[in-house]
Amino acid sequence: MKTKTLKEDAQSAGNILLETGAMLMSSGASTHRTRLTLERIAHGLGYGIELLITQRALMLTIIEKDQQHFFSRLKRISPHGVNFRIVSGISHLSWNVLEENWTIAQIADELKRLKSLPHYPRLVVLGLVGLAGAAFCRLFGGGYTEMAVAFVATVAGLFIRQEAMRVKFNPYLCVFFAAFTASLIAGLAEHFHFGTEPDKAFATSVLFLVPGVPLINSVTDLMDGNIQNGMVRAMNGLMIAFSIAMGLYAAKMILFF
Amino acid sequence: MILLDIISKSFWAGIAAIGFAILFNVPRRVIFSIWTLGALGGLIKFTAMQFEFGIVFASFLGATAIGVISIKMAHMRNSPPLVFSIPSVIPMVPGFFAYKMMLGLIALASIENTDAYLQTLIETVNNGAKMLFILISLGIGVALPMLLTRKESIKKSQFNKKKKIAV
Repeated sequence: MKTKTLKEDAQSAGNILLETGAMLMSSGASTHRTRLTLERIAHGLGYGIELLITQRALMLTIIEKDQQHFFSRLKRISPHGVNFRIVSGISHLSWNVLEENWTIAQIADELKRLKSLPHYPRLVVLGLVGLAGAAFCRLFGGGYTEMAVAFVATVAGLFIRQEAMRVKFNPYLCVFFAAFTASLIAGLAEHFHFGTEPDKAFATSVLFLVPGVPLINSVTDLMDGNIQNGMVRAMNGLMIAFSIAMGLYAAKMILFF
Repeated sequence: MILLDIISKSFWAGIAAIGFAILFNVPRRVIFSIWTLGALGGLIKFTAMQFEFGIVFASFLGATAIGVISIKMAHMRNSPPLVFSIPSVIPMVPGFFAYKMMLGLIALASIENTDAYLQTLIETVNNGAKMLFILISLGIGVALPMLLTRKESIKKSQFNKKKKIAV
């Protein structure tokens, strides 16, 4: 590290590190990965850092080795939903910083590029998640009629969720609306006796909402010793699961009375 | 016939994994790997269930296999392991048991008859326990390979080699 001149301003380095960390946490990386990545980037830039990572805020202190100066700042993390393209891109970026001595300006450009990367087209998402719903139905022993019902219900539910997210409803409410729509459609099919085992379609139509990332990251965090973050993630997953249950319950109440 | 059923179920498990991969916006180059992993995890889980390992242990085996291979895949395809492992284990999430447990809980709030109450209580607790343990085994199955290889891989990784050259 002696070849690197510590010209770059600690302040801009700190801001870029906080930005990276916030993007990682909101895109679904585990606490350990976030810490490792930030430390790697900071090391590549020639700084030592201390970090406090929570689910909704990030605190960072930069220590310059030779001087007594330090830089400390807090950044709020706004949840954006899981985006593995960003997680993957930042992983590349951190290695580039370490091995190819990227400057802060280059990191900022790359972060901007990662943020502007497109999502898959909406129709593709709807179609493939619908297929996933049908696949779940098949896994739990449904026939082709039930699979078709699960497909339609999943597509409708996901559509409602996307629309609810767009007008910025509370995230748990979005899940509730989606679960309600999906199970209402699957329940209507059950009501009119579509297929032989209609309850399979009813149960699997909401599985696209399962909080897989919060729950698995929760176990990972707990096992890494990040107990606090793990508990927060588990609670978040439970809240989502509860919203799904309430959506199902509401649809059942309407259909079977 | 059983073999055919297992293979077709694995195929659909892969499809379900792809659906979640798209939902999580994974890079395009890893989609096929995720299908392979999801199908492989399903294959192991359903085969283990055929040999009466029980659904909890079968899920654990499937998730562990996914966790181990996702580390290899991460090196091959240049993406972090969780990008592969999380979408691939989601088809094994015990949604049907969660649904049964939830219905049971709602029924428990309204049943008055003692015998029916006891019967529902037993089924609800059974479904809930299965769901909980499957979830835990999935989480541990995915996390364990990463935790086990961490020590070794940090020693061997380029990160450390480069540091030695630079220092």
